[in-house]
Formats: sequence, C-alpha cells, structure tokens
Amino acid sequence: MAEVVRPWPLADRDTGPFWEAQNRHELAFQRCAKCAHVRYPVGPTCPECLSFDFEWVQSSGRGEVYSYTVVQHQTHPAFSVPYTVVLAEMEEGPRVIAQLRGPEGARPEIGAKVRVEWEDGPHQALPVFVLDSGQRTS
Amino acid sequence: MSIRNRAAIVGIGQTEFSKDSGRSTLRMALECILEALDDAGLRPKDVDGIVKMRANDDFFEIDLMRSLGMENLRYFNEIPHGGGAACGTVASAVAAVASGMADVVVTFRSLNERSERRFGESSAGGGVGGWMQYYLPHGLVTPAQWVAIFAQRYLHEFGHTTEALGLVSVLVRKHAATNPHAMMYEKPVTMEDHQNSRWIAEPLRLLDCTLDTDGACAAIVVSAEKAKRLEEEGRREKEEGRQEQVRGEEIERGYRGQSPMTGGSGGVPPTSLSRGGWEGGGDRGRGKAVYIGAAAQGTGSRTEMMTSYQRKSLAKLEEAEATARELYRQAEMTPADIGMAQVYDHFTPFVLMALEAYGFAGPGEAPRLFREGRVELDGDLPLNTHGGHLGEGYLHGFGHIVEAVRQLRGTAVNQVPGVKTCLVTSGTGVPTSGLILAAEV
Repeated sequence: MAEVVRPWPLADRDTGPFWEAQNRHELAFQRCAKCAHVRYPVGPTCPECLSFDFEWVQSSGRGEVYSYTVVQHQTHPAFSVPYTVVLAEMEEGPRVIAQLRGPEGARPEIGAKVRVEWEDGPHQALPVFVLDSGQRTS
Repeated sequence: MSIRNRAAIVGIGQTEFSKDSGRSTLRMALECILEALDDAGLRPKDVDGIVKMRANDDFFEIDLMRSLGMENLRYFNEIPHGGGAACGTVASAVAAVASGMADVVVTFRSLNERSERRFGESSAGGGVGGWMQYYLPHGLVTPAQWVAIFAQRYLHEFGHTTEALGLVSVLVRKHAATNPHAMMYEKPVTMEDHQNSRWIAEPLRLLDCTLDTDGACAAIVVSAEKAKRLEEEGRREKEEGRQEQVRGEEIERGYRGQSPMTGGSGGVPPTSLSRGGWEGGGDRGRGKAVYIGAAAQGTGSRTEMMTSYQRKSLAKLEEAEATARELYRQAEMTPADIGMAQVYDHFTPFVLMALEAYGFAGPGEAPRLFREGRVELDGDLPLNTHGGHLGEGYLHGFGHIVEAVRQLRGTAVNQVPGVKTCLVTSGTGVPTSGLILAAEV
C-alpha cells in the first residue's frame, strides 16, 4: 500500500504566522499587546481585554503531560497504531496536542515533563513531544 | 416569563434500528414523521414548522416538504454541533410554538450511519482547516480520540480505573437486552466483557463507544393549549368510533408493506413502537401529550468542537453544567425532582460526567450511582431505560427523547411504574442541550 501522507494544516489569515513559525521549528503563541494574556488556539482578539493587538512569542517548548491517549484502533491510513497523543500544558499556559515520541504505545505519567522536538513533513513541520530525561512511561 | 409547560410533545415515531436500513434517510424520516403525526392525530397539512439537526444530513427540510406535499413552512431552523443538537431541536420548536411563530413543529433525526456515512469517520487525508488544523495533523482524528483526552484526565483526577466506565456499559446494555427494538437485544455484557474488549483509544475500549446505527426518530411539538385540544379531539373521535377508520387510512397510505421491520416480522403495526412498545400491540388511541417543563441549550468556556482542552478543568462538562442550571431554573426543579434520566451515551466517561453535571452526584462520584443500584430500573434514577446509544442504537440523542415520551406515557418496554418527570440530555463535549419532560402539568 502506498504510504498515505498525513493530513496537514491549512493555514488561514489568522493562523498563517503560527504555521510559518512551526516551519521554522518555533512553537509560537499570541500575546496580547495590551494585557499580556497569552492565548491559544489562534484568534483575532484577546478574550480577556478584546484588544486586536498582539505579538507572537516563542514558547520555551517545555511543558507537562496534562492528559493523553494511546490510539490502538486505526481510523486513519496515515497513522499506524499504536501511537500516543499527548495534551501538554506548556510553561506559558496553553495546552498543546502533539504525538509522543519514544517507545510505540507508551503511556506517560500525567505530570511528566516533556519538551518539543520537530519533525519535517512534505507540507508542514510539526512538533512532537519527548519525555525529558529521567521520566518514565509504563 | 418562563416557557415551563407551555409546549408539549404530542406524537412520536421511530423506524427499526439496524445495520442496514436498505432505504434512504429521507424515506426513513418521512416514515417516522408520518407515524408521529398519526400518533398526534395530525396530518402533514397541519405542520408549519420543521427543526432539524445540522450535522451529516443528506437532505433539507424542503425535501421533506416536497415529499409531504406541503406548500409553506412558517418556521424552519437547524441546530448545530452534532449530537449536542438533539434536544435543541425541541427547544427551538418550543420557542416557536410558545411565541406563536408556528403551530405544529416537526423535529427528527434520520441516519444511515452504519451502512452509509459514519459520524466518527476520519477524513482520508489532505489539508484540514478550521479547528481541526490543530488536531488532525497529530493523529487525533475521531470523536473517541478527542473524548479519550477528557476521559483520561477524569479517571486520573478522581483515582478511578476503567471499571468506572464499565459500570455504564454494563447497565445500559442490560436495559437494551430486554428491549426487542434494540440492536443489542438479548445481548447483555458483564464487567469482564468490558475489561476484555479491545482498546480503541485508551482509556476507551470498544464497549465504551456507541454503536453505529441506521434508523430514524421524530417528535411533534405543539403548544400546551393545542395539546389539550388534540387530546380532547382524540377522546371525542374515540367516542364516535371514527378513530380506527382514520388511522387505517393513514397506515394504508403511509406504510403498507414498506417497512422491512413490519413486513418481515409479520404484521406488527408501525404505530406500536410509539404507542406501546413491542409488547403493546392493540389500540391505545391517540398518544398522550407529554409536557415540556424545560428546554435549554448550553455551552461553556473556551468551547471548541469536542476539543475544549483549554478549559480550566477537563474532568467536568461545562456545557452540561450550564444546560442543567437553565433547565432546573425553567422547570423550577432540583435534581431530586427528576424521576429518570435518558443521558446521551456516545462514550461512557461522558455519561458519568453528565450525571455529575446535572447534579445527581458530586464531582467524580457518579460511579456510586451505579454501584448502589440507583440507576437500575427499580432505582430512584433509572437511566437509559431503552438501552441508549450503547445498546439500542445511535440516533444522535433522538432515541432518548422518544424513550422519555414512552416512559411518561407509560408505554415503554422497560416501563418504570408511575414515573412523572424525565431528564433528557444531548451530546456532550460539544455545545449541548437538554429537556425536562413531565407526564402531566
């Protein structure tokens, strides 16, 4: 079977810079220019103060596992099971979804420290999480 | 001003639930809408409103109109966000009949989800925009996977194992096992079966996930005043002995020889499903009105379609909490006033979290309702008495509405004696909706 390319994000007029940053291997969030609230997912206004003005700030790439799933039943031809998808709470506040790299089907501990690494694809570079050294999976 | 008891459901209809209906969703919708109108003592020319759910439909309200020979609708509307919309269609119908914008409103759901298009199916590939751009490229592509992220956190925060999820599966399948209309009729499962079923997306196993179903359900909403007039007309017609003839004509025109279920099973009249369950048989006359004590929609903070992962807590359902507050306010009730609940069971963890959101248990404590037998048919809060999505069939919450009406009429297969009030909830993880229905006012 020919390898199916993973679905890739279609940038829009709001999210364009977010995905461009990822192609530079930067995880970027919007920070409100007025009240400094960091928001994610990408949106035109600050939900705290309604300002349209913002700047892109780069995430440290460090966070903690907030939740995860190990996908065991294959539902998409591009994603071979098992694989682990992590929701990590980043140091800046937002929670980000990405796959966990490491042993296939690994179950990370909730609260485990993770950091972002990057994988290039034909359409878009995407972050993956790796456990910071010393962290265990089960 | 309150909408409490200003509207009623006066007719229900339901096709068989199967893996392959063998006919179009439009045709099934028409079958169950005609059955529901007949149940209400109404005809298509009486209908001036249609409210439908928005997701995954093959047809519009104008296709129903054309098929029913209707020339005008005063009120038509679509409620968004998948299974969260089911009770929302009734809520919209309530607003219409209570305000006088419509007189008779049809609500329905019709699906060939098993044989044609699956709701949870992932896209084959390519670029994805909108909210999905943040999730699909990472392999988080189906509702089960989106919900698993909430579920893992719920289990973690309250120290539950996946046996907490199994409690829901076992209970709901038990109720389906005694419902001949259910896809899982006579197929109960044990906790061992649950724990041995294969992983889908941890912590969800196969038995934590809804069935996929072909079928259709409909409910007719009118004002309380009109409901009383219809009931009065029904009584008068019965006295005059005309009712059999009228219904005979309807069945002749609408159904004869058309339903595989009725055709294949040797003459169970289609109306028996709404009137008396499969055991009901006989002529019970026009369906009794069931009053709508409350009808509400609700959302929560930082809402996305199934991926509201930025919320402060993922161990609760904000949209269900919001809907609960509004329902109890409208109905002037508390959870203690609710006699039974039909809770949207697409995935077992969201049943537990919904029971907590609607105030029947504290945070993380819903498993106790199962362990203490309170959600059994003889408990103080019988739950998903028809067997729900996990056992009867997945009609995106519409089967729950129809079952609530049957229970309050006293005509359900797994009838709970003397039940007076029923909570019905719609899909969670998305903007949702709910109803409190009452047997009488």
